[in-house]
Amino acid sequence: MIQQFPVLVVVAPLVAAPITLLIRNRRLTHLWAMAVAWFTLFVSANLLHEVLTTGPISYQLGGWAPPWGIEYRVDTVNAFVMVIVAMIASVVIPAMPTRIRLDLAPERMYLFYTATLLFIAGLMGITVTGDAFNVFVFLEITSLASYTLIGLGAGRRAPLAAFSYLVMGTIGGTFVLIGIGLMYQMTGSLNMADLAVLLPGVQHTRTIMVAFAFITTGVSIKLGVFPLHQWLPKAYTYAPDLVSALMSATATKVIFYLLVRMIFTVFGATFVFGVLHLDWLLLPLSLIGMFVASLAAIYQTNIKRLLAYSSIAQIGYMTLGLSMVSVAGLTGSLVHLFNHALMKAGLFMVVASIFYRLATHEIADMRGLGRRMPLTFAAWVVGGLSMIGVPGTVGFISKWYLVLAAIEKGWIGIALLIVLSSLLALVYVWRVIDVAYFQSPPEGQADRIEAPPILLIPTWILVGATVFFGINTTWTVGVAEAAARQLLGVMP
Amino acid sequence: MSEEPKAPMKVREMVVLRVTAKMLIPFILLYALYVQFHGDFGPGGGFQAGVITAAGLILYGLVFGLDQLKRAVPQRVLEITLAIGLLMYGGTGWVTLLLGGNFLEYGYLAQHHPVHGQHYGIAMIEGGVGVGVASGLLVIYYALAGRGRR
Amino acid sequence: MSTDLAIILSFLLPTVAGLSTALTGRWPNARDSLTVLWGVLTFGTVLTLLPVVNAGGRPGLVLWEVLEGLPIAFEVEPLGMLFALVASGLWIVTSVYAFGYMRGHHEENQTRFFSYFPLAITAALGIAYARNLFTLFLFYEMLTFSTYPLVTHHQNATAQRAGRIYLGILVSTSVLFLFTAIVWTYAIAGTTEFTVGGVLAGKASGWPVAVLAGLYFFGIGKAALMPFHRWLPNAMVAPTPVSALLHAVAVVKAGVFSVLKIVIYIFGIDFLAAGSYSEWLMWVAGFTLLSSSVVALKQDNLKARLAYSTISQLAYIVLAAAIATGDSVVGGGMHIAMHAMAKITLFFAAGAIMVATHKTEISDMDGIGRTMPITMTAFFIASLSIMGLPPTGGAWSKWYLALGAAETGQYLFVAVYMISSLLSIAYLGPIIGRAFFRPPRADSHHPLPEGMKEAHWLMVVPLSLTAIGTVVLFFFANNVHDLLAPIAIGG
Repeated sequence: MIQQFPVLVVVAPLVAAPITLLIRNRRLTHLWAMAVAWFTLFVSANLLHEVLTTGPISYQLGGWAPPWGIEYRVDTVNAFVMVIVAMIASVVIPAMPTRIRLDLAPERMYLFYTATLLFIAGLMGITVTGDAFNVFVFLEITSLASYTLIGLGAGRRAPLAAFSYLVMGTIGGTFVLIGIGLMYQMTGSLNMADLAVLLPGVQHTRTIMVAFAFITTGVSIKLGVFPLHQWLPKAYTYAPDLVSALMSATATKVIFYLLVRMIFTVFGATFVFGVLHLDWLLLPLSLIGMFVASLAAIYQTNIKRLLAYSSIAQIGYMTLGLSMVSVAGLTGSLVHLFNHALMKAGLFMVVASIFYRLATHEIADMRGLGRRMPLTFAAWVVGGLSMIGVPGTVGFISKWYLVLAAIEKGWIGIALLIVLSSLLALVYVWRVIDVAYFQSPPEGQADRIEAPPILLIPTWILVGATVFFGINTTWTVGVAEAAARQLLGVMP
Repeated sequence: MSEEPKAPMKVREMVVLRVTAKMLIPFILLYALYVQFHGDFGPGGGFQAGVITAAGLILYGLVFGLDQLKRAVPQRVLEITLAIGLLMYGGTGWVTLLLGGNFLEYGYLAQHHPVHGQHYGIAMIEGGVGVGVASGLLVIYYALAGRGRR
Repeated sequence: MSTDLAIILSFLLPTVAGLSTALTGRWPNARDSLTVLWGVLTFGTVLTLLPVVNAGGRPGLVLWEVLEGLPIAFEVEPLGMLFALVASGLWIVTSVYAFGYMRGHHEENQTRFFSYFPLAITAALGIAYARNLFTLFLFYEMLTFSTYPLVTHHQNATAQRAGRIYLGILVSTSVLFLFTAIVWTYAIAGTTEFTVGGVLAGKASGWPVAVLAGLYFFGIGKAALMPFHRWLPNAMVAPTPVSALLHAVAVVKAGVFSVLKIVIYIFGIDFLAAGSYSEWLMWVAGFTLLSSSVVALKQDNLKARLAYSTISQLAYIVLAAAIATGDSVVGGGMHIAMHAMAKITLFFAAGAIMVATHKTEISDMDGIGRTMPITMTAFFIASLSIMGLPPTGGAWSKWYLALGAAETGQYLFVAVYMISSLLSIAYLGPIIGRAFFRPPRADSHHPLPEGMKEAHWLMVVPLSLTAIGTVVLFFFANNVHDLLAPIAIGG
């Protein structure tokens, strides 16, 4: 059965989504979605193991041989990303019934699970496929599902945020499609491995350069790379809390993977960095993004918006590591995919717990919450320490590699800028801690209102993992480094 | 849309339209079926058939009113058929998986005649696409036409 | 007891102490007695390592490899041994003192206080035993964050502000400079292990080494080198036991200890001195040394004056590290112990005065020597040690510090040491003078009671013990010197 696993990660959630429409029962659909997520995790973990032991797996959809048929190709890089997506989904979905404040009647909750499953299917599809057009298809599935999910947020602004994401997302998606079309025009192929062989022959044509520009820009819009990030804070702020947790931890990661895949596998690092010098653009943009977004995060009064801006800054870390084009830099980027998924999902879960009890996202309303929800806020502290990059947490590991990569290049100044921007995280994390622990709760509200276990347990699984993987890096760094070597074509 | 247009005559009262529509709709649906099954041999297939089916039903809705259409094809049923459409597609893939082939490797559907298997497979997934697309378009039509009514 | 077990236990015991405190919070007497018990056990465990280290052994163990070449690993060498002894030994005394203080002062949230306190000790021991920069950094940050709740204990606006400065400076410097320096070292040398003779010699030279040294010296904000010293006076808002143990002993000594350790085992004293890479840092340290003494003169709040005195005394050790000769680093190491014993006594006394008479300002302390004779005698003895006068331990460490500076011909810095000692007479002397020779002030808000009124015995006994300790250290300075001797030749 293992040889069928590459397709199972996609079709399991894809086929499970319509089944939720048939089940309809709120509890049963929840159990069903949970089961599917866990199954996906099981499959992707097996795939990662298989890939690490025996090398890349190629799967021919419908038995048609590539480059004509659609090929699903699993290697270390995307197996790693699939595990991240499945893992976060497995932890976040169990907490979903608590989202009672959705703009959705409880008897229509099943639609929420349908959209979630489609979202996961799309992400898995983007990750696993080895076919450029297939990427576009799954990109659209993901996007459509995420517009729905964002639009379900409480309040009247959620649909607006979804619409603004829809506009940007459609532009991004179209750009990607145009790029793929241009490549097809020049090479007659859609298979990524095949494109990698054919492109060098035509890479100096203007068409291919335009194709590259379209694809990079389109993906960057979807990723929220500074300065194309405008949709992101709105979307994360007004989406339901758990959707923000899920999206910030999975969607950006997969899209970043797509960027990596396009640059390193399809176009090739020598073309992208040696001829076109993408790094000259990406490196300064990443740095500026890290600072601007972190500074913006400091001034937010809404805790979700704060986390959203922090996400943009973290995306800056990832693109920064990428633009350094070294094993250490790329390892840092890839391991940060994993690490940031853990910590950001954990922090959004904390936000969800607070909202569950107080129905607020304003930091000012969190006075004295440190004593009213001690376990929830302890999770914020631990997750926050990880954002800052304190040793013993995953944040430290990512930062170590990024700074090491900068120093290896002899860029002491950039190394200092990286750590300086991580210090800004101290400010925005601590602002919340200051309010929660130092200000007394409003009159007559001193009772303990700890979040229910259904929220608390997933939160602590995620936050606990930030510490666990901060100390045990055999899996994370080991895999990320193998992936980075594979992408750069460096033998260990 | 809450207010009916103040045209000289309401659409529903136009006899010509009503009669023509009543005559045409069965043929439209029949044609949809033709396109659906002709897809095996020539231009056509599930998507087009689904669109034509939906078009026929939407015409019914335009002429006789959304409520009338909803009575004929309830939204709840559409949700189910939508799911069934997708499941026919995905399910075919799962069946080929269970029979030992790759996902959507139709050859495995008929044990000794891979070519027959191809036929069955195509027919199944095209059917799924047809049902899915028709239901999907109708759901979108319901959502758009029903705005402001609740 | 095997050395591995001893090392593990000396971490585990304070952590267990923190947990046991949190769990037994409802029964204050049980909670406090248990804390002392854990303290004694910890000190005993640390003590079992002393003969091994004295005999030239370097017990250690690797706990877990986090990244390739970056394990959490421990190795007890002389300097770390000394620091561990000082931290864990004084913890017992401070615990006893803290019970008297916290109860006498009717502090709230005592359980939280006594839960985080041992965690800080765990962190300090981690720093002491660290075998590489990564482990050191790990526990260094743990120390910062575990002491934050102690500094902000009162949870009011002042504490919040102080907490921000505390965390702001300590985390910023460590993340910005220390972290970068560690990664840089790793990039150059391929290792962060503390190695006899250093790891950088032959792999780097010129300005990068000087910059690297600067990153380390400033990055270790706990050493309070100017301009990153402001957290220390601000941290004085904490309850006095915290100021005493953490901001005279564990935290600040962790800072200077780290500086010394990095100079000895990462740069290597010969390498650093030969290239004069740290010469510019001598000036910074010398400036810090003198200017903070001058600032101390102006402080009227007793704890603030002691805090600036601490900054100055820390700069002694940082200067010694920058001079980087055998005698100066040994002197720096000795000064860790000598100054710890003396400064903790001074803080104990300040806290005792505050609890007994509610006085915090020096100008308000006229005649207090007659009300609290034991406390003020202890204060006097400890002051002698800060001034560097016999018969107290401070005399010896200053001797070696000055000797180290003289050996390299840095007579200017010998003079700096001497002038600063004079200044310390100027800022500590008047307190003693006022206490013993002036009549009590009539206009005081907190008039002195008639006759003797010492603080609770739980506070007086510890401060007497540490005062005696400073004298004992004078006579047993040789043992400290012998323990540290190996580091003079590079470990």
